[in-house]
Amino acid sequence: MADRLIPRYWLMRMLYLALCLVLIFILLLPLDILPPSWAGPDLMLALTCAWVVRRPEYVPAALIALVALAMDLLLQRPPGLWAALIVVGAETLRNRVLMLRDLTFAAEWASVASTVILITLGYRILLTVFMVDQAPLGLSLMQLLSTLMVYPLVAFASQSLLGVRKLAPGDLDAMGRRP
Amino acid sequence: MARDRGQGDDYTGPLKRLLLGVLVLCLISLFLVWRIDSPRVERFRAQVVDRIVPNLDWAMAPVTSAVNILRDFQSYQRMYQQNQDLRRELQQMKAWKEAALQLEQENARLLDLNNVQLDPRLTFVTGVVMADSGSPFRQSVLINVGMRDGIMDGWAAMDGLGLVGRVSGVGRNTARVILLTDTSSRVPVTIQPSGQTALVVGDNSLAPLIDFVEAPDQVRPGDRVLTSGDGGVFPAGLLVGQLATDPRGRMRLRIAADYERLEFLRVLRSYGLEDLSDPGQLIAPDVLPDDTPSETAAEAGNG
Repeated sequence: MADRLIPRYWLMRMLYLALCLVLIFILLLPLDILPPSWAGPDLMLALTCAWVVRRPEYVPAALIALVALAMDLLLQRPPGLWAALIVVGAETLRNRVLMLRDLTFAAEWASVASTVILITLGYRILLTVFMVDQAPLGLSLMQLLSTLMVYPLVAFASQSLLGVRKLAPGDLDAMGRRP
Repeated sequence: MARDRGQGDDYTGPLKRLLLGVLVLCLISLFLVWRIDSPRVERFRAQVVDRIVPNLDWAMAPVTSAVNILRDFQSYQRMYQQNQDLRRELQQMKAWKEAALQLEQENARLLDLNNVQLDPRLTFVTGVVMADSGSPFRQSVLINVGMRDGIMDGWAAMDGLGLVGRVSGVGRNTARVILLTDTSSRVPVTIQPSGQTALVVGDNSLAPLIDFVEAPDQVRPGDRVLTSGDGGVFPAGLLVGQLATDPRGRMRLRIAADYERLEFLRVLRSYGLEDLSDPGQLIAPDVLPDDTPSETAAEAGNG
């Protein structure tokens, strides 16, 4: 494991970046120009949370910030704010990793849900404070709910398809340290 | 669980936290700068989009057409129905064509009598839609003409029939068109035949609101809505759509442009417009007299 040309955690970081790029690509496709009556999940947020909870070293804060800022710029959001909130949210989850490792998936889901809800609330409150035009509340709530609904799927796919698993107690992490 | 969380990170922990703080601070300050000096950051955003999105075009165009072909394939099921509809519409169109031809001849005669010169500056540049806004909350499209082709901020974009939106954000090779349905879109219009002026206010639905009508009893559903040219942002007389009322009795606009199939957009060249470089200022003609500051101050106080 240690004598590989590129360490595994770098490969996984690249994979995260690639997944996010594919996501941006799909979002930008000019397929539906009609204003939608529903809002899909924020997959990037779900993916980031799922990875942070499982393997924090795969998604360093700088990488999350880079991807989120790029999405802010490309998707016409106020630049920087959503990125900052995602970074803060991911860090709170990262601090809980050791605790969450021993608990069930339901506990993890609840933890992620509270973080995502707080981020979304904070985002809307800050936008109101700074008097920025914002999306209709209904669409925001719909996006929040669908993000929470899709989270188990994203977590399951990450775990089974991409091999992003929680460390069992006593394992070494990808950097070769004992967490 | 019993272990100390920070174990093994005694030296790197504070440094990491510091770097994290700096990172978040940078992001927040970018947001603040955007809030304070929006045009500059938006220009930066346009440059970023301009750099990235055209590089994706080689992949985007085929994927988009593939999905569209698939959707068209699904619509074969409704082919018979559509055929019937088209035939009926064709009949109506023939009647209209006849009327239009007669009107055209009459118009040509009248123009000839008057020796009228049509505005030669109202020409257009056609662009292809490359990408949409990518978010359910913003309604805009990216087209593949930009500063290189002489596109400027604030110009009107139309499809073949009606107004689609306004150029806002120009990069070298791309320009962003804010659609009428976006929540930040406001377009001054007149409603014909009554001549009432109003404002089309986008609200993220397919039928934007029509607001600030002076005498709502003088307008009726089905009236034509044209740009009024008020404020000098758009040329006057571009077709926007038809008036309609929603179940709650509010006036809405049925957009003439076909938003379901936006592929090519015409950007109308219109020079001599107001320069929209500063945010939040009153849009007013340059020819306002400068030598009467006391009067304007008094008026502002009254109003």
